[in-house]
Amino acid sequence: MSSTGQAAEVHLSIPADSAYIAVPRSVVGNLAARNHFTVDAIDDLRIAVDEACALLLPQASDGVLDCIFYIDPPQLTVRTTATVPNGWLPDTDSFGWTVLTALVESAAAESESGRLTITVTASATASEKA
Amino acid sequence: MASAERGDPAHILARDGLVSLHMPLVEHLARRFRNRGEPYDDLVQVATIGLIKAVDRFDSDRGVEFSTYATPTILGEIKRYFRDKGWAIRVPRRLQELRLSLTAATAELTQELGRAPTVAELSRRLDLAEDLVIEGLESANAYNTLSLDAPDQNEADATTVLDGLGGEDEALESVEYRESLKPLLAQLDTREKRILTLRFFRGMTQSQIAEEIGISQMHVSRLLARTLNELRAGLLKE
Repeated sequence: MSSTGQAAEVHLSIPADSAYIAVPRSVVGNLAARNHFTVDAIDDLRIAVDEACALLLPQASDGVLDCIFYIDPPQLTVRTTATVPNGWLPDTDSFGWTVLTALVESAAAESESGRLTITVTASATASEKA
Repeated sequence: MASAERGDPAHILARDGLVSLHMPLVEHLARRFRNRGEPYDDLVQVATIGLIKAVDRFDSDRGVEFSTYATPTILGEIKRYFRDKGWAIRVPRRLQELRLSLTAATAELTQELGRAPTVAELSRRLDLAEDLVIEGLESANAYNTLSLDAPDQNEADATTVLDGLGGEDEALESVEYRESLKPLLAQLDTREKRILTLRFFRGMTQSQIAEEIGISQMHVSRLLARTLNELRAGLLKE
């Protein structure tokens, strides 16, 4: 979507408070809508971002969640990062993680220098006719 | 209390005593649900009803600690309150009408295309700006924001009867976790369970589920969000 042809980025920082998770949820819905995701896929992505934020929220020790949305049609990638207690990783056996992976193409958690990032990726599949 | 008859002044006194003693528990539990668009005072009232029910049903001869017994009853009352409210977030008329149009157009387009429509397709079909379509879709959903696994994070200010109880682990082990999920899944009604199964175990899309069950895609979306939400609430641990 950017003029240089590279992936466009949208950056968002929110307080690590459940009241604010609606913001990245709304942003990803908006971006997905504009990038030809179907209404089903939009919903799935919203729930996935909701779950990723909610997983990080209780662990965010400096009270901030950072979200970066990469728009590289047909793909949409959302990376949500927080500063977490040493060594914390989301439990990939948990129901929450299972739901997350069922909703998007891929989901991964990586740790680096005390910062934990959950990355989710989804692609628009519809070739528009109507 | 066990030895007093209902209606007996001694019974009433003892019952009132138990209720007031456990008000901190009521407030603690009500506080967990306060970010869901319902006034805190209403939640406290509902939770108190749960407490009173628990007190009335409590059989002290069974030797179970009352607080342990009361918590699921109180939580159940709160959850039933939300279920009955049907996620009543007040929607302005124009949004209601928009959602009706979207539902109809989504169904039509899904039929024609053999898949769920995109926002652009809905926008063209309804001759509405994409922003408006997006707004309509967003308003059709209401989500909570606690992870399916996270305990309530706002524990710092809670000094309650519960604090005296034996320590539950912060993170349940996998086995224990699955065990606590099973009864929650069992509590879902038939349609909720079906939607969950179709979505996560048969991998069907919401539109496919909508066609299978005979309701709109937006309705599936709303029910799915609500079901996941109920599971989250049920998984909240002391």
